Amino acid sequence: MGLIKYIKNVWSALRSLAIGMRRTLYYFTHHKEIITQQYPENRDTLNLPERFKGEVVMPHNEQNEHRCTGCTACELACPNGTIKVITKFDVNPDGKKKKAIDKLVYHLELCTMCNLCIEACPSDAIKMAQTFEHSVYDRSQLTKILNNPGSKIMDGVE
Amino acid sequence: MMQGSTIIFYLLAAMSLVFGLLSVTTRQIFRAAIYLLFTLIGIAGLYFWMDYQFIAAVQVVVYVGGIVVLILFSIFLTNQAGEKLPRGKTVRKIFSALAVFCAFALVISQVFEADLTETSGSPAPTVARIGKKMLDTGQGGYALPFEVISILLLAAMVGCIVIALKTKL
Amino acid sequence: MPSFSHIALLIHEWLSSHLNSTLTLTIEMVIAGVAVISLFAVLGLVLVIMERKVSAWMQIRLGPNRVGPRGMLQSLADTLKLLVKEGLTPSGADKFLFNLAPFIAMIIAMLLMAPIAFAKDFQLWDLNIGILYVSALSSVTVISILMAGWSSNNKFSLMGAMRSGAQIVSYELSAGLSALTIIVFTGSLQVSDIIRSQANGWWIFKGHIPALIAFITFIIAVTAETNRAPFDLAEAESELTAGFHTEYSGMKFALFFLAEYVNVFIACAIAATLFLGGWMPFHVGTWHAFNHVMDYIPSSIWFFGKTFFLIFIIMWFRWTFPRLRIDQLLNLEWKYLLPITMVNLLLTTAIVILGWHF
Repeated sequence: MGLIKYIKNVWSALRSLAIGMRRTLYYFTHHKEIITQQYPENRDTLNLPERFKGEVVMPHNEQNEHRCTGCTACELACPNGTIKVITKFDVNPDGKKKKAIDKLVYHLELCTMCNLCIEACPSDAIKMAQTFEHSVYDRSQLTKILNNPGSKIMDGVE
Repeated sequence: MMQGSTIIFYLLAAMSLVFGLLSVTTRQIFRAAIYLLFTLIGIAGLYFWMDYQFIAAVQVVVYVGGIVVLILFSIFLTNQAGEKLPRGKTVRKIFSALAVFCAFALVISQVFEADLTETSGSPAPTVARIGKKMLDTGQGGYALPFEVISILLLAAMVGCIVIALKTKL
Repeated sequence: MPSFSHIALLIHEWLSSHLNSTLTLTIEMVIAGVAVISLFAVLGLVLVIMERKVSAWMQIRLGPNRVGPRGMLQSLADTLKLLVKEGLTPSGADKFLFNLAPFIAMIIAMLLMAPIAFAKDFQLWDLNIGILYVSALSSVTVISILMAGWSSNNKFSLMGAMRSGAQIVSYELSAGLSALTIIVFTGSLQVSDIIRSQANGWWIFKGHIPALIAFITFIIAVTAETNRAPFDLAEAESELTAGFHTEYSGMKFALFFLAEYVNVFIACAIAATLFLGGWMPFHVGTWHAFNHVMDYIPSSIWFFGKTFFLIFIIMWFRWTFPRLRIDQLLNLEWKYLLPITMVNLLLTTAIVILGWHF
């Protein structure tokens, strides 16, 4: 029957509109749900979501050692050429040459925080930091070298 | 000393006349429609001035809200509507001025000849009285013309639907 | 207790005791004009901040909270900004019509204020075709939009104007038919008569189901008529930048913006008058004691309370529903609202003829 279908149509439309309106009314009356953070005031107690990605960093331990082997997997994974790995050859105590990183250049101004380099890294040498106050007066300051000067690879990372 | 209501009457009359003149002399078709709108609003104002509020409101609904919007839409949908129309030929101008003058003279002569009397005794035309008269089948009722017009409008609507149908019947 | 009608009477008496009748009338007209303009300004400020706060809370945000206490002066700051901004006119525009359009929108919104009863015996012009006058004049609003859209010489503006033209012309029908339902109940178009007929209960309660259906269709239709989301195809930021007012800036934009909010206010005031009894306090049939208690609340508070409640509902619509597509919009009107309102009107007429209503 056309008429019954028509009435059913109208009824289900009204019902689904009411469901939507109930949800917004719930939010309207429950101000505890508000997720906005008063940023400049709460800078010290800022509560960032777990999955927020701000920039790529390379963690170092106390002996100024990192886990990067210079395999360039991150450079290959990056879709827009943000990472450039410059390698050098270290000489081991037993006289063998070994590939290591000289500089890991990271262009923050090109980065889209897609997380592909982190996924690609076989030795977990880089990770995403949660910093976000990146503004500087000169864009050359956005080109960063991730490994600390004089750092070397951690023992046991191949 | 002129009374306030007389001043308002002359203002409204001047508004309708001036905008009427502008709407036929302008060379931009969109502006012509807008000037026509102001003429019609002036006429509605005259109805309000006469306390014929229902007629005034109907004037606004039908002419301003209906017909002028329709005209504007048809202007929107036609090409090159933004350009100025070419100037009319001189011969045509002379003849149209002549025609206007003749019509004006005819109207004015009729107005002066006619024996106009005030109709102050008639009751105010309220909506209820108009409605009753419209559906009155007795003496002086308008039931038959009303029904005839509604049938005409129905026929026009059916015709529109038939024209607008995608698949031919 | 001082009420609006009391103050108006005092002013009238004072003026007529000092001046002759023509001058009294002129001064009273000026006072009414100034009052309407200041009401506009206040409404603009209040409704804008209300909209922003309501939208923020519905979207789990905080909303404006920097200017003034809890951000309550934000709209004042915005107005100041718009006042000092330059009003640009595009070079390809039809300058006369471009500059005229916002004023037309504003003048019509002002004229629509005339038959609204703000409190008991407090009304600018109680003409005997009140509701018809409102629906007639609100159909002229579309002209200002078409004018703005055309004279901007911009395709977004033109598209927006055409959409809003189609929209307003179609939704006027069901708004008018829904209003007619209540007029069939009262048998009068006069605003004061409609309000007086609700002294023993508002129409939404004593009009059975037809009044309720008419109320819902009326609210939907006026939301569409005032070009507000979910029916804001004329402005549709994501498709048409801003529709008919894309090219407007500064004070001329502010006039359009203000006219939109004032139109929302007027639509809600009319809905409150028709269905919720205007300034009439909440009365129940013959419970005289209860009715007497309700009468202690001033009539202006009843009127503004009801109107702002309806405005809140319309804002609630806006921040809940996504925008309709143009075909969905026209389907809704011609396939659903119009047949429903027509059947509803027939039902109402039957109820009134059989005398089933209270």
